[in-house]
Amino acid sequence: MKTLYVEGDSLLHRLPPRAKLLGLAAAGIALFFFRSIPPLALAALLCAAIYASLGIGLRHSFARLRPIFLTIAVVALFTLLVGSTEEAATVLLRLTSLMLLAAAVTAATGIGDFIDEITLAARPLERIGLVKAADIGLSIGLVIRFVPEILDRYRAIKDAHYARGLKPRILTLAVPLIILTLKNADEIAAAIDARGIRTQK
Amino acid sequence: MDIRFEEAEARFEGRTVLHPLTLSLSERRIGIIGLNGSGKTTFARMINGLVTPSAGHVVVNGFDTVKHGEKVRAESGFIFQNPQNQIILPILKEDIALGLKSRKLSRQQSDAAVDAVLDRFGISHLATRRAHELSGGELQLAALASVLVTEPDILIMDEPTNQLDLKNRELVRRTIEGLGENIIVISHDLELVEDFDRMLLFHEGRLAADGPPADTIRRYRELAR
Repeated sequence: MKTLYVEGDSLLHRLPPRAKLLGLAAAGIALFFFRSIPPLALAALLCAAIYASLGIGLRHSFARLRPIFLTIAVVALFTLLVGSTEEAATVLLRLTSLMLLAAAVTAATGIGDFIDEITLAARPLERIGLVKAADIGLSIGLVIRFVPEILDRYRAIKDAHYARGLKPRILTLAVPLIILTLKNADEIAAAIDARGIRTQK
Repeated sequence: MDIRFEEAEARFEGRTVLHPLTLSLSERRIGIIGLNGSGKTTFARMINGLVTPSAGHVVVNGFDTVKHGEKVRAESGFIFQNPQNQIILPILKEDIALGLKSRKLSRQQSDAAVDAVLDRFGISHLATRRAHELSGGELQLAALASVLVTEPDILIMDEPTNQLDLKNRELVRRTIEGLGENIIVISHDLELVEDFDRMLLFHEGRLAADGPPADTIRRYRELAR
């Protein structure tokens, strides 16, 4: 299995996980208070600089960010069609800033740290009987862990199409991808149970 | 080790995968063999409580697998056929530490336990490696470490040398030979289990033979013809 975490010694790597997650949450909220292009453009540049400080490299960065960026581009294009150019640019810059910052935090924080922090943050909800904090932490950790795995599987299914001389289509890609992902999720769930990772209070 | 099957049966979607079975297991090293689809994996999963009996009971070290699933899993570790599915987090030491989370250990205690188990299997140098970078043999050792860090009394392994090349198979075989725990190993690799204390043979969901490995293997060869 691959990981979104990238080893390194950047400032962002050295920051405590809690500071990174709180910073990301605060920045996510703050970005929605800016409605004009200059401050959003500045924010996008700042986030790009933070992402660049991780030293991932252009080629790898492009491969990692392309799917999300394509989604942002579609949203911006749709905004352009139904709204103004300024609104589209605002959406594009805001979401790009968020994507870069979130990707930087994900790349600079190990999944174990994510699980610990999210579990801790969910403790108050556990105290009032709403959730099991450890389950919330584990679930979010697993989502992060599964992203590169699902992308790998998607590529493997696409390659299998080419190997058999078939043109990849949404339906023939999506169906095996969903079945394989669910099957794998069952096996991972069995491993979690077998290893007693998920406590049953 | 004290495992008891009491008329335990496993049915899935109306099909009987394991017919009612009564037996006790207490030997330190037990091998399980049989053709594909014979019910051996279901049998092993019933010991860990991953599969609960549709009828009857399975009791592991005094704990019923239905009533005390969590305690049963603490008693019995399970190594899956594909170690990729065993390793849940990508970085090895993070994954091993994950198994200790429910024990509420301090960071220092958890780190010490992880270091000790990595050292035990001679894979300390892999601690910060990503699981997808490991060889098949290293992955098996990592899966072993991830399970044995919680110190279960019984270790169940489902085809541990499956898909391994000769070199990695030898590495895993030597490691299994050196284990001090009670072990139950499902294997198509007869050499791996031929000197075990007891061997079970499953065929079409029933226990077809149970005894010394030499006799059981002979019966298996007859059935496989």
